[in-house]
Amino acid sequence: MTALDPERIKVILATDCGSTTTKAILIQYVDGAYRQTHRGEAPTTVEKPFADVTMGVINSVTEIGELAGRKLVDDDGRIISPATDTEGCDIYISTSSAGGGLQMMVAGVIAEMTAASAKRAALGAGSIVMDVIAANDGRRPHEQIQRIRDLRPDMILLSGGTDGGTKDKVVQLAELIAPAKPQPRFGSDYEMPIIYAGNNEAQTDVSEVFAEGGFDLQIVDNLRPVLERENLGPARDKIHDIFLEHVMAQAPGYDKLMGWTGAPIMPTPGAVGDILQTVARIQGINVVGVDIGGATTDVFSVFDETFNRTVSANLGMSYSISNVCAEATMPNVLRWVPFNMNERELRNHVKNKMIRPTTIPQTREALMFEQAVAREALRLAYKQHKEFATTLKGVQQQRTVGDTFTQEAGGETIVNNMTLDLLVASGGVLSHAPRMHQTAMMLIDAFEPEGVTMLAKDSIFMMPHLGVLASVHPKAAEEVFDRDCLIYLGTCVAAAGNVKAGKPAFSWSFNGMSGEIAGGEMELVDLALGETAMITLTPVRGVDLGNGPGKKVEREIKGGTVGVIFDGRGRPLGLPEDRSSCQSTVQGWIDSCAMYREEEETAAAV
Amino acid sequence: MRTLMIATLTACCACVAQVHAQVAPPTNVKTADAPNDVGNQVIVTWETSPDDVDGGVTSYVVVRSKVDTDESTPIDEGAIGDVPYGVTTFIDENATAGTTYWYGVRATGSAGESAIAQAEESVTPTMEMINAGKIWFLIIMVTISGVVILYVYHAKRGGNISVRKIAGLEAVSEAVGRATEMGREVLFVPGILDINDIQTVAGITVLSNVAKTAAEYDARLEVPTARSLVMTTARETVQAAYLGAGRPDAYDENRIYYLTDEQFGYTAGVQGKMVRDKPAACFYMGAFYAESLILAETGNSIGAIQVAGTAMPSQLPFFVAACDYTLIGEEFFAASAYLSDDPEQLGSLKGQDVGKVIAAGLLVLGCLLATLGAMTGSSGIDAASSYIKDNILGKAGVMPAMVLHIGQEDDTE
Repeated sequence: MTALDPERIKVILATDCGSTTTKAILIQYVDGAYRQTHRGEAPTTVEKPFADVTMGVINSVTEIGELAGRKLVDDDGRIISPATDTEGCDIYISTSSAGGGLQMMVAGVIAEMTAASAKRAALGAGSIVMDVIAANDGRRPHEQIQRIRDLRPDMILLSGGTDGGTKDKVVQLAELIAPAKPQPRFGSDYEMPIIYAGNNEAQTDVSEVFAEGGFDLQIVDNLRPVLERENLGPARDKIHDIFLEHVMAQAPGYDKLMGWTGAPIMPTPGAVGDILQTVARIQGINVVGVDIGGATTDVFSVFDETFNRTVSANLGMSYSISNVCAEATMPNVLRWVPFNMNERELRNHVKNKMIRPTTIPQTREALMFEQAVAREALRLAYKQHKEFATTLKGVQQQRTVGDTFTQEAGGETIVNNMTLDLLVASGGVLSHAPRMHQTAMMLIDAFEPEGVTMLAKDSIFMMPHLGVLASVHPKAAEEVFDRDCLIYLGTCVAAAGNVKAGKPAFSWSFNGMSGEIAGGEMELVDLALGETAMITLTPVRGVDLGNGPGKKVEREIKGGTVGVIFDGRGRPLGLPEDRSSCQSTVQGWIDSCAMYREEEETAAAV
Repeated sequence: MRTLMIATLTACCACVAQVHAQVAPPTNVKTADAPNDVGNQVIVTWETSPDDVDGGVTSYVVVRSKVDTDESTPIDEGAIGDVPYGVTTFIDENATAGTTYWYGVRATGSAGESAIAQAEESVTPTMEMINAGKIWFLIIMVTISGVVILYVYHAKRGGNISVRKIAGLEAVSEAVGRATEMGREVLFVPGILDINDIQTVAGITVLSNVAKTAAEYDARLEVPTARSLVMTTARETVQAAYLGAGRPDAYDENRIYYLTDEQFGYTAGVQGKMVRDKPAACFYMGAFYAESLILAETGNSIGAIQVAGTAMPSQLPFFVAACDYTLIGEEFFAASAYLSDDPEQLGSLKGQDVGKVIAAGLLVLGCLLATLGAMTGSSGIDAASSYIKDNILGKAGVMPAMVLHIGQEDDTE
């Protein structure tokens, strides 16, 4: 792969090889800007009988070529590069989550310190963390060894100790892994890759432990050289390298695919994280992204340029829907449904969804129930994310006498909904909701944004492609992200603080319109997609809209397909305990935000 | 009997009275059993001598005689005390409950002594079973005790008693974790006072938690002590904590040792240890004096996470400034309940909080009333303020002073 001059890249072809579908997009330089012009998709062909991922890639690219009137695949079945006026592309890039993506096990000395940093590195690189082994995880050594034996990760990330810190504990961890001899997921002749990113003084000792064979030990810089600072870059890069060299090389057809790409193939979630980081850095904003799938929910956040990703393995809308209902409890799910439902029917619905994951709701009631489950899945996933995305633990604090009564412990969450600027949704239940109002309301109810927050969705899940593109052409990636990737739903203006039901919470005015929002109420005001407006918000005393309690806010807001949603329900969001009053309250919010209006009209017409 | 008493007292002082008859005696001498006592007090009151002007009288001397039985002759006990001129009350605090006394008062001046003015009636002090002046104290005590019992009952039944997060105690695992990652030791200093000091006991409670965490993390824990008894207690505590964590093999009693009773000798010893071994986590839990800042600054300079806890107000600012976390006074004593999660301790903690709220409420209310009374001159507000001060917090009982006063006037009338 030779580095291309970004200025000369005018036609970009990108694919994302998912477990079931390979999605391709074409980005072209049109009228002085990069735009996503065409998209195509085809079934992924990594499994037998095809056992060659490139077949699915070629099929999806061929579809794009036909749509664009541009020949992208030559007669030998190879992608044409570089581009001419009528054929080929300047660069082809790809991500992959086929075959379950990248699965890792991580280990560190203390669960909240080096092990947490190792988990952050692995998640940030786009992997699924199967388990975290730590000296203080409460398991006895034989239980830890048994667990390591039972797992079949693609690779193991071993960390522990600061530079010059503990050696014994790190070697003890290595001595748990070595005799366990974990077997890799792919390839029987393949040595288990171990990335060691711990105490630099323990490198020799750790090497000796793994010297017996069966392991491919790679040593990188310590990911926690001192407790006050993380150094995740080298470990992440090494994870990507091993992903390409070992994991991808074992998957059918990937060796050929790697020869075609102009940039390294990235795990899909890692690429999503990269594009969100790029956008947050370029625009100087805080971003939260969510991808809710059938089995898992990924949450990404960038706050003050600190990136975090979590994978909630048991929160999803099909395979994991039963777990969502169990974890959230049925009363919590049903509080979002404004009518009585038979519990037996509900349980049947949940189990049917689990065993037939592709089922889509056939009635408005079923849709409302599914969206209620989605709210709880998202809420739980975001809660887990907040607990994981924290400041570093084990760090010395600097105090003054003024801190006498306000001492805060380390490890506080860095996720702050008041400073959140952009909330991006993706995943079937969010992207394919019949009305975008429903998507917006699901986001607001689950994430409870505060102050002024833009809501958007990635309808065709283009973020992975743009993540890889960001590594070779950040400008193009950012332009396409802003113009074509995101569909802006609108802006949510939500009151936090001392909101009293029925009493005025704040007043608003923009574009010559004005109004007042009372506690517990919601209101939807139109502001079309592409329009912007200067809004003036005046909260009552004790209510915060971003500038502090009772302080006026003036800022620019963007319109969207939904408009501006004013939320006077307060934070944290509380619903009445009584079932009937809860139903009438939720029905009131549904009516205020016109969530199901079109379906109602259609039903009436029928 | 009264005649007999007068005769006795008069006889006792006859010669003096005859020689020094220039000063007029006080008048209207009365006696009364003091209320709300154990029967050892008698209040003697009189009206001043007509000569108690322009220095004519310098003092009043109170004399007493006691009657063992109704029929016996009073036994003279002579002068039992004196008060300066102008004073018209004397409280005899050396009476015996159940004994009948006769009192008399004579004036003394530059011109000599007066005759003794006898009380009209004898008095027999008795013990009161209930101190009516402290009824409010009883009410408050019963209320707080009741609340404590209620909360303990509530906690035992599985009720939720939330205790606010105490950052210093939450940070124990963080500090021990840091020591583990850095391959260094955890230093615990249990103050410089002996085990009979409540702060040392509270410190040992926290030590138990630190030792348990150190055992779980397999971190090295060192406890230098300044008192031999503290060392013994600390050893027992740490051993139990290691046993509880399932790591009795990791316990090493040699890491808990005695240095010296000498304040600065001990400080120098601990400081030297800190500079040499650079522990990654330092805990200072107990009673500290001047050594607080020396230890905390040394710990800060070696980059350790430091958690301090003491009830010494003079040392708190030093710990707050130099340490990462500080348990302040009550937090330090609440640590035991916080860490143990024991319903009895949590219930007791919550009940005590109610007591503090009542006390704080009374203080605030009293301040407000006193301020308003001073600003408005309202006698009603002043009375309310006085009621809090004298009746609720004082010894004046339940009935307001005004009512008593009116009652007394009624009696007089």
